[in-house]
Amino acid sequence: MRFEFNGTPVEARPGDTVASALYRAGQRVFSRSFKYHRPRGLLCGAGKCPNCLMQVDGVPNVRVCVTPARDGLVVRHQHAYPSLDFDWLSLAQRFDAFLPVGWYYKTFRSHALWRAAEPFIRRAAGLGVVPADPAGEYEHAFRQADVAVIGGGPSGLEAALAHAGAGSEVVLVDDQPELGGHRRYRKRAGPEPTDLIARVRSHPAISVLAGAYCFGLYEGNLLGVVQPAPHARCRERLLHLRAAHVVVATGVYEAPLLFPNNDLVGVMLSTAAQRLIHLHGLPPGKRAAVIGRGVRAEEVLADLRSAGVETHLLIAPEEVERAEGAASVSALRARGERFPCDVVVVCGHLVPDAGLLSQAGARLDWNAQVGAFCPAGLPPTMSAAGEVTGAGLSAAAPLPAPVAPHKRAFVCVCTDATTQDLCDALGEGFDHMETLKRYTTTTMGPCQGRMCQLNAIAVCARQTGRGMQETGVTTSRPPNPGVTLGALAGPRHHPIRRTPLHHQHADRGAVWLDMGEWKRPRYYRTAASSDETTCVRAEYAAVRQRVGLIDVSTLGKLEVRGRDAGRLLDKVYTHRFSDLAVGRARYATLCDDHGILLDDGTISRLAEDRYFLTTTTGNLDFVEQWLLWWLAGTGQHVHIANVTGGLAAVNLAGPLARDTLRKLTALDLGSQAFSYMACRQAEVAGIPAILLRIGFVGETGWEIHVPAECGPDLWDALLDAGREFGIRPFGVEAQRLLRLEKKHVIIGVDTDALTTPYEAGLNWVVRREKEDFIGRHALSGSPRSPRRESLVGLVVEGEQTPEDGSAVMINGRPAGRVTSARFSPHVGAPIALAWAPEAKAVEGARVEVRIRGRAVTARVTLEAFYDPEGARLRA
Amino acid sequence: MDELFQSRRMWRRHELKPHYDVAIVGAGVHGLATAYYLAKEHGVRKVALLEKGYLGCGSSGRNTAILRSNYRTVEGIPFYELSLKLYEQMSAELGWNVLFSQCGHLTLAHNDSGVAGLRVRAENNQLLGVDSRIIYPAEIRRLVPALDVSSGAHWPILAALYHPPGGIIRHDAVVWGYARACDALGVEIHPFTEVTGMETARGRVERVRTTRGDLAAGAVVNCTAGWASTVSQMAGVPLPIVTHPLQACVTEPLKPFLHHVIVSATLHVYVNQTDKGELVIGAEIDPYQSYSFRGTLPTLEQMATYTLELFPQLHGLRVLRQWAGVCDITPDFAPIIGRAEDVVNFYMDVGWGTYGFKAAPGSGKLLAALIATGRAPELLEPFAPGRFRQGRLVGEKAAAAVSH
Ligand SMILES: Cc1cc2nc3c(=O)[nH]c(=O)nc-3n(C[C@H](O)[C@H](O)[C@H](O)COP(=O)(O)OP(=O)(O)OC[C@H]3O[C@@H](n4cnc5c(N)ncnc54)[C@H](O)[C@@H]3O)c2cc1C
Ligand code: FES
Repeated sequence: MRFEFNGTPVEARPGDTVASALYRAGQRVFSRSFKYHRPRGLLCGAGKCPNCLMQVDGVPNVRVCVTPARDGLVVRHQHAYPSLDFDWLSLAQRFDAFLPVGWYYKTFRSHALWRAAEPFIRRAAGLGVVPADPAGEYEHAFRQADVAVIGGGPSGLEAALAHAGAGSEVVLVDDQPELGGHRRYRKRAGPEPTDLIARVRSHPAISVLAGAYCFGLYEGNLLGVVQPAPHARCRERLLHLRAAHVVVATGVYEAPLLFPNNDLVGVMLSTAAQRLIHLHGLPPGKRAAVIGRGVRAEEVLADLRSAGVETHLLIAPEEVERAEGAASVSALRARGERFPCDVVVVCGHLVPDAGLLSQAGARLDWNAQVGAFCPAGLPPTMSAAGEVTGAGLSAAAPLPAPVAPHKRAFVCVCTDATTQDLCDALGEGFDHMETLKRYTTTTMGPCQGRMCQLNAIAVCARQTGRGMQETGVTTSRPPNPGVTLGALAGPRHHPIRRTPLHHQHADRGAVWLDMGEWKRPRYYRTAASSDETTCVRAEYAAVRQRVGLIDVSTLGKLEVRGRDAGRLLDKVYTHRFSDLAVGRARYATLCDDHGILLDDGTISRLAEDRYFLTTTTGNLDFVEQWLLWWLAGTGQHVHIANVTGGLAAVNLAGPLARDTLRKLTALDLGSQAFSYMACRQAEVAGIPAILLRIGFVGETGWEIHVPAECGPDLWDALLDAGREFGIRPFGVEAQRLLRLEKKHVIIGVDTDALTTPYEAGLNWVVRREKEDFIGRHALSGSPRSPRRESLVGLVVEGEQTPEDGSAVMINGRPAGRVTSARFSPHVGAPIALAWAPEAKAVEGARVEVRIRGRAVTARVTLEAFYDPEGARLRA
Repeated sequence: MDELFQSRRMWRRHELKPHYDVAIVGAGVHGLATAYYLAKEHGVRKVALLEKGYLGCGSSGRNTAILRSNYRTVEGIPFYELSLKLYEQMSAELGWNVLFSQCGHLTLAHNDSGVAGLRVRAENNQLLGVDSRIIYPAEIRRLVPALDVSSGAHWPILAALYHPPGGIIRHDAVVWGYARACDALGVEIHPFTEVTGMETARGRVERVRTTRGDLAAGAVVNCTAGWASTVSQMAGVPLPIVTHPLQACVTEPLKPFLHHVIVSATLHVYVNQTDKGELVIGAEIDPYQSYSFRGTLPTLEQMATYTLELFPQLHGLRVLRQWAGVCDITPDFAPIIGRAEDVVNFYMDVGWGTYGFKAAPGSGKLLAALIATGRAPELLEPFAPGRFRQGRLVGEKAAAAVSH
């Protein structure tokens, strides 16, 4: 097995991580630090620090100490110029006197200065580079369990067996490739749990997710778990695991000790050394100085010796003066002596990995005995087992220890914050952990506080004299460890909705318009022309002079049935519907509590207890939920069925619409028998249909709803029947022009989030005398009482049509806006719907419209531009 | 330079006194700005800032710190423009770099009505002297090469409202800078001092009760954002405000590649890259009312999904933290600033919802003038507490809802 590191091949053995293979090949510097670009080597070996971040196969900031080596991987260093071993920007540390904590707040004390300096500072920032590869396959999965056990060490294994034995379905999650927890590399800490692992593996009620990490615990015991590469075609899978009970058995991780030059390459945590020895068969160096005391330090010393590393006697943490070395460590100074070495092994603080518990609301109490913040006050649906509870730990070094401010004693390896920096910040008044953290950026780097939080608390506690408990930890926030955007986003589905008539449109040269998920024909190209204006004009002319056909299947369609259906609609809509006669339809608007227009449509009464509703395309889900919401708990007999997908709908309109439709139905279509705003159920072209005599475009017309699968037949039949009359399908653009000439409002286009029906000129849709309806209180005043503004029609002088959204002005000051504007063939001039001040809502008043920066005069009109009496609509 | 090497305390500790001229509840950016201008411009220095937590623990330390003035209405635009101008001068005025990076702000539109909405803003901005214009894909691609401007994208980018003076600021630096300046002017800052109640009589707040003792004040100011309605209730002043959580997240640092603030109202997401290289990503408000500070997984997933719609190449980037703040939402998405109608010494600067950081210097300055002189500056009038009773709402809702 071999991969590529900065262009040179590196051999790897089975079980190797990228880091262990590099280490074996002699690589010691793995990264450069964020601020001073100091060389850094393996520190934790456990994926918990910032020291081994590299670019792997283009992905930035990958921790190579936990990335399995694979054939063909392409690994590059990051954040070092030109190389890890020599980095120009490490000169930054020469200037550290000018870069004390918060230096940038104090240095560039004018906007101009900062504007000049910022680009340079910015250029030096960041770690990895943005990958070019847009692809990435991710999955989401969902799972429930009686018990989730997080952590596969001895205590997690035991907890899983105990719960499974008591009859629970258990999921065990562990982030290592193999079960066993710390016993995999702390061989002298106790026997290997081989037997436990075997029993867990074979237990039918336990599923094991090894190599998967849990990054957060959310409300209701929802665990976010990431499984890397669950199969060949997937980078990561995010499992949403919900468990009635969660056992946290995450154990401890090791955090560094504070002494000058504690960040030199070669200074590593004891568990990192033990991992190298036991998991990869690698002695961490030739000669080691070991800092630590007690049983654990003895254990580490023995491991080193058996791996053939020459060691000095144990050095207690208090005795350490500093590490020495240029880039890599060459000696440790302690108790007045110099101990030459090429690796310093630090038995650091063992920190209970209690993030999941504190996310769930558990406290973390300081326990000086064990030298750790231990979880307490667990919610009843959680428990903790093993070392995460603090059991069996003993303090590595007394905390809080006296602090000697030093410019090379690093508290935070992610952002190069030192004990000097922290002490300075404390002196400036940042003496609460939360403000200290924000000012020094300690705990806010890629290690997410794991390497630095305890030491930062200790420094703060010592300097303020407040003690560890009172100083306290900062809030634990998910995700921890970090999660990729790809895993969070999951598979990127982009559903597209096509109407039942989609292929009919495609065959006729439709140019598509995206409306939410829907595709609708914007207009149709013809053999003669594919120019939008020409085509739209021809479609327009067909409707005004002959007959046109448009697909309106995207309208939301709901059936509301039951004894109390009318009552519910009276409550939710502003108009009254309980008194609507069977066979009639009515325009319907819906407002919120503030009287603001939310949606409109039509409501038809098909039978005593059966209403048929249409909603705007985008608001269907909202209206359905809104109706259900207001129905809930009333005890009314109402059933609401969303029939949108089941129906195709078209609008046939124009002076010859009646002649066209007559050829396909036995219904009496006369203007008396089937008058404006009537509805019928009948067969059209042999297809059962609901017909509504309504007219958004302002001509005689019918909206016809049929079963979706019959939609294409109806469409073809209507076009056949209309051929002799010069029928033409028309798209959304022509429809928008036609309705604009009629001044028909489109909610959400001509109205905004504060428009009331009164302002939109829809006074008649509000039945103020109704006992109750949503928005009644807000709309109870007179329709004329103070309005913000009014929606008016404008006829614009000159040739140029304003763009939607153009400003309406009075004497050069903004006074309103154009919501929809088109050139009107009927008026022979550009027309618009626009919001104007109440004072200008007078027939014939003059305002200005801003067209490409120029003021153009426009005349206000309150009537429809086309057929204001509605004679053609009713004909 | 001297200051670089001396570490003076930024603000001092004080005992609570029994009487102040002005007591401000909440030491977020609004409370601090109000105190600062009271002391600096009106010589009112017996001012106490009462803060229940540490300095900046509310939304002022949790926001995504986007500043802009390209609002929609004639009321809103000059008001936010005033703040933007004050922010430009702030580093020099406070002698403290607030790290205001005027990198430019782009609001993306993905459909026709979105473009029309942007045009309304561009037109009004231009008429009122704010640098703001509509740009189209070719120019967007030039400014932000990392953005997926391909027409094949599921949410094609049709146009953007480009606002060059907009940008981001270091929110904590503003809070600390104000606090330091307030302290130097004699204002007392009292962290960990929670206001627990108020006694009112004859239409005045007579006493303010806190966890560190009671006090009286000539004027009491509510600057508590997410808690605004509960604190006003203490003075017997009901507010039409609901509180919703708002979440954001931050990723690992990357080498700089994104030099503008990118907002998409349709996708309910906004993204920018800090000077440290991290991406800061914000969501729309949670759809339910709550005072919870706990992040949720669905919102995090939504932020990731929408970010990848705009920048698909970032799929391997890790999110390191997510957090929530609580936002005080008014019915018209405009703030409530001014004196309570029925309690003569009770003032409010609340209702800042998801967008109040950018407005703090301006509203602090104007409110200080109102408190000190008794006259409401003209720019404040549209935002008076009485407008809900009179049905005079401000029309920002259409533009402000998600565009911070
Ligand atoms: C995630 C998020 C992103 C945001 N993004 C932006 C953005 O990009 N741009 C923008 O302009 N705005 C943004 N905002 C909004 C902005 O942060 C707020 O509107 C603004 O910070 C409000 O400032 P404030 O001083 O009024 O409130 P806060 O900073 O919340 O201060 C209120 C203070 O009152 C204190 N308090 C409450 N009750 C009491 C009491 N009883 N006694 C004493 N003290 C009390 C609180 O502890 C708090 O410190 C965002 C908000 C959030 C949550
Ligand atoms: S050494 Fe790899 S993360 Fe610490």
